[in-house]
Amino acid sequence: MKLRTMAAVMSFVSKIENDSAKFYQNYASKYPEIGETFSSFIKENKRNEKGIKHTYFGVITDTIEACYSFEGLDTDNYEFDIDLAPGPTLADALKMALEMEDKIERFYLKAAELSHSLMADVPRAFKRVGQKREDRKLKLQFLLEKVS
Amino acid sequence: MEVRKLQNYINGEWVDSESNELEEARNPAWDKLLCHVSMSTKTEVDRAVQAAKDAFPEWRDTPPVARSRYLHRLIELMEERFDELSRVQTTEHGKTIDESRGETRRAIEMVEVASGIPSLMQGSNLEDIAIGIDEYAIYQPLGVFCCLTPFNFPFMVPLWFLPFAIACGNTFIVKPSPRTPMSQVELFKLFDEMGLPPGVVNLVNGATDVANYLMEHPDIQGVTFVGSTPVGRIVYRKCGETGKRVIAQCGAKNFIVIMPDADLDNSMASLMSSFFGNTGQRCLSGANALVVGDDVFYKRFVDKFVETAASIRVGDGLDESVQMGPLQNAASKQGVSRVIERGVKEGAKLTLDGRKLNLVGDVPETCFLNPTVFENVTPDMSLAREEIFGPVASILRAKDLDEAIKIIHGNSYGNAGSIFTNSGKWARQFQHDVEVGNVGINIGVVAPMAFFPFSGRKDSFFGVTHGQGRDVIRFFTETKVVIQRWF
Repeated sequence: MKLRTMAAVMSFVSKIENDSAKFYQNYASKYPEIGETFSSFIKENKRNEKGIKHTYFGVITDTIEACYSFEGLDTDNYEFDIDLAPGPTLADALKMALEMEDKIERFYLKAAELSHSLMADVPRAFKRVGQKREDRKLKLQFLLEKVS
Repeated sequence: MEVRKLQNYINGEWVDSESNELEEARNPAWDKLLCHVSMSTKTEVDRAVQAAKDAFPEWRDTPPVARSRYLHRLIELMEERFDELSRVQTTEHGKTIDESRGETRRAIEMVEVASGIPSLMQGSNLEDIAIGIDEYAIYQPLGVFCCLTPFNFPFMVPLWFLPFAIACGNTFIVKPSPRTPMSQVELFKLFDEMGLPPGVVNLVNGATDVANYLMEHPDIQGVTFVGSTPVGRIVYRKCGETGKRVIAQCGAKNFIVIMPDADLDNSMASLMSSFFGNTGQRCLSGANALVVGDDVFYKRFVDKFVETAASIRVGDGLDESVQMGPLQNAASKQGVSRVIERGVKEGAKLTLDGRKLNLVGDVPETCFLNPTVFENVTPDMSLAREEIFGPVASILRAKDLDEAIKIIHGNSYGNAGSIFTNSGKWARQFQHDVEVGNVGINIGVVAPMAFFPFSGRKDSFFGVTHGQGRDVIRFFTETKVVIQRWF
């Protein structure tokens, strides 16, 4: 599905933050050794969603940016599964988390790029959350190397 | 299912109108009846004015900081109901949900600024104008004011005035547009909930008769109006005859000058918002794109502009994939369609015909038009001169910036004007020379923030001080000068 409006982008932000939180919730309890890290990701997801929406609702105005149009943002490129095949190992879960985070990072960075001419606050918020995903990927990579 | 009849809010109570004369408010996207709107009687207007008049003495004596606290509570309630309020606007007006959220945000911003009244309302003083004598000026509220509001920003426009009026210590009456009355009812539910003293704010539904009676009423000190220029002239004249203060913010025909060095890629989203946002139904809409430059640049601009306009998704504003909603009613659609026909007859080139509908979903066609673009428009054509209030863009050409400004000055309106350029010299010349109230430099819709006045000139504004910012504080107060000496 193509995301053309800021309202649609915001709904997708909620979806990816909530879906990825669900993923971490599932596996935080299953693998106690990564429980703390995954729990911190869940908290951060909530902050990310809240922060982006706060920015959007704070700067959207009746005229300047209200009907901003995105071109080239398609959810097909950023959808991810949150259910692992039966009997996954911790390494499987971490690999899946890495793929998921990579897609989320690419989504935010693309959204930031495409909203470049929007009021700067919103693309900056996208970029900030995208960059946080890079840090998260490094943490996941480190955990994966430890368990492999 | 019985369709509800909207009530008036008078003296802190929701009351049914005694009138049997009703109008319908409809959802334009689905052409469905939303509610009935009473055309209130003179007696009901009298009751509202009396309630506001009675509430005034105690309200004006309430310290500004205490009045401001009511507004803080209102802000909290508006934030809590942000999305609910926005959805009502889309339902009754048709605009997209993003546009409604923008309207809600701007409305909240008005209340935020007005809540700074303890600072905004301060006067001035000078010690020792002569030895032992001091002089100072204070600003005092005047009494009952009213607001006659348009259909296009049903939630926000009354808040250009109301929070400032009551923050200054006045009392207030809103007469919403009968086409889009519901979001004001939602706002007044918040006033009711926050416990504002009875009579400080009042809501009276109605149409022309109610507006006329308010303007003639001897106990109304001033009138604020936002709407078309022909009606604005009447409001200005009527208020002059009865000695009332007036702010009449009226129609527009805004020019957007595209200079040959403009960054078209980065400007296009802003231009689309300007020409087609709110389905072209706003006084800050771009109407005439005035392109300066050679044929190569002109073609590059037109190709991109038309391609982007043609790709705008039109449908129900509550559908998040939709970028432009319907016109607010069927009569508006017919009016804009007639303008398109006339444009063709006048000899303009219809490059993109919005009457050929391409809609998202199975919405009825009743109120919809897609974006329309005309080329070869000349300044004398009605397309270039008259306010259309719909999603129609006219493209004109000028050989240089001087000619572009001359063309703009030939138009009777002076609400807003924008220039898209990378040249500081051209931008500065435009800002300095152009006779419009609100100037945009690489900004498509020049909507002043709540802490600046919403300006306007020529046939776009009748009055002295404007809405918003310090201007509106002066409007809602009278200066009193005191000279004092103690023996």
